[in-house]
Amino acid sequence: MTDEPNALATLGRYAGPATLILSSLAGGTKHGYALSKDIEEFAEVRVAPGTLYEALSRLERQGLIEPVESHDRRRPYRLTGAGASVLRAHLDAQRRVAEVGLGRLAAGPGTA
Amino acid sequence: MSDRGGTPARRAERLLRCYPAGWRERYGDEFTELLVDDICERPRSWTRTADVMRSGALARFTAAGLTGRALAPEQQMRAGLAWLGGALVAFLVTGIALWSQLTVGWQWSAPDAPATRVAMLVMSAAVLGLLVLALLSAIPLAWTLIARREERRRTRPLALATVGAVVFVLGSIHFGHGWPGTGGHPWADRGLVPGPIARFGWAATLWVTSYWAHPGALSSFPAAEIAWMVVSPIALLASAGGVAKTLRRTRLSPRVLRYQLWLGGAAAVAMAAFLAGAGSWVVSGGPAPRELFRVGTIDAAGLAVMSAALVLAFRAVGRTLTAAARSGTER
Repeated sequence: MTDEPNALATLGRYAGPATLILSSLAGGTKHGYALSKDIEEFAEVRVAPGTLYEALSRLERQGLIEPVESHDRRRPYRLTGAGASVLRAHLDAQRRVAEVGLGRLAAGPGTA
Repeated sequence: MSDRGGTPARRAERLLRCYPAGWRERYGDEFTELLVDDICERPRSWTRTADVMRSGALARFTAAGLTGRALAPEQQMRAGLAWLGGALVAFLVTGIALWSQLTVGWQWSAPDAPATRVAMLVMSAAVLGLLVLALLSAIPLAWTLIARREERRRTRPLALATVGAVVFVLGSIHFGHGWPGTGGHPWADRGLVPGPIARFGWAATLWVTSYWAHPGALSSFPAAEIAWMVVSPIALLASAGGVAKTLRRTRLSPRVLRYQLWLGGAAAVAMAAFLAGAGSWVVSGGPAPRELFRVGTIDAAGLAVMSAALVLAFRAVGRTLTAAARSGTER
């Protein structure tokens, strides 16, 4: 388990799917298929089942998400407190990068 | 592997088999549900199959302690011991093949070069040591298997291990009668190693040969012998695989794991001694008398394989020791 705000960076190539999963769970508890459909809707990206569960298991190990008790075979997951702060820090950093990039694109001739 | 054909549930269960047992136990149900939904939505998808296969292989590598991720101490100890076992099998197959060629030469005449004589003594002592260690290792494992016979899903791997071992042992005994070291001479069995052991080792590793690269010469062998050269590695693999699977499905106490680790460390030392002996013959040994102890390309290749197996064995022992220390501090 981790409380580090930059924990998402340690996920390496899973940071992409992890951000999508955390962002989806920020809107409420979801099981695997609901997660995949929600991500497809808001990000227009389809996360394949194997990749989704690779990222889910890593996030669970890091304490950023947790399973919710369920009588169904579809186990839902929810965001933990640590997961929410990691996601907030990560998205803030991404927004700063996006603002700088967009600002520079608007300001000058950055293309060849 | 394709996930096409069958009901969505059946196809999902087939895909789930890509993952190791521990992963399936934790995520199996929910992942199957996700797959069923995904299959219903997109009945045909090679990208889904490829993604699940890739992810399953990664989960298997992780469970075997092959990725950077730290496993639970007991899991890491088991993974380390499994790698040690695999390295030992590869080392023994190559080493016995090399050693048994020298036992044939010694049966005819003792080597002239002191380096070859020392090499044979060291290698023979190391083989004896490894046999003793194997026996010491097998006793508590066999005892655990008997004591926990109620544990399920062990019948098939045990049957595979038994059939493989029976074919391997009986075949080696049978084909050992063609051992070139006996040859019907009145002074047979006068060598450094007792004839029955030497000829068993020779027949068991007959397939480790450069003749595979010379099909013309190989075709002059009796058909039964060629068949044995094909069957024996399969039987050996089946037996080793069956034993590995049986042990994976058996709960071993921390005490037994530590005992196996101790034996594994001793086995790695015996392997190093064997390799030093083999290296002494390859580098400084002579072929005399009558070219009986000539070094071939296959022997140099064998030395390379044994070196790689030894490095793997020491790494496995190191990782297992670290896990054992972690398990001690975490208790």
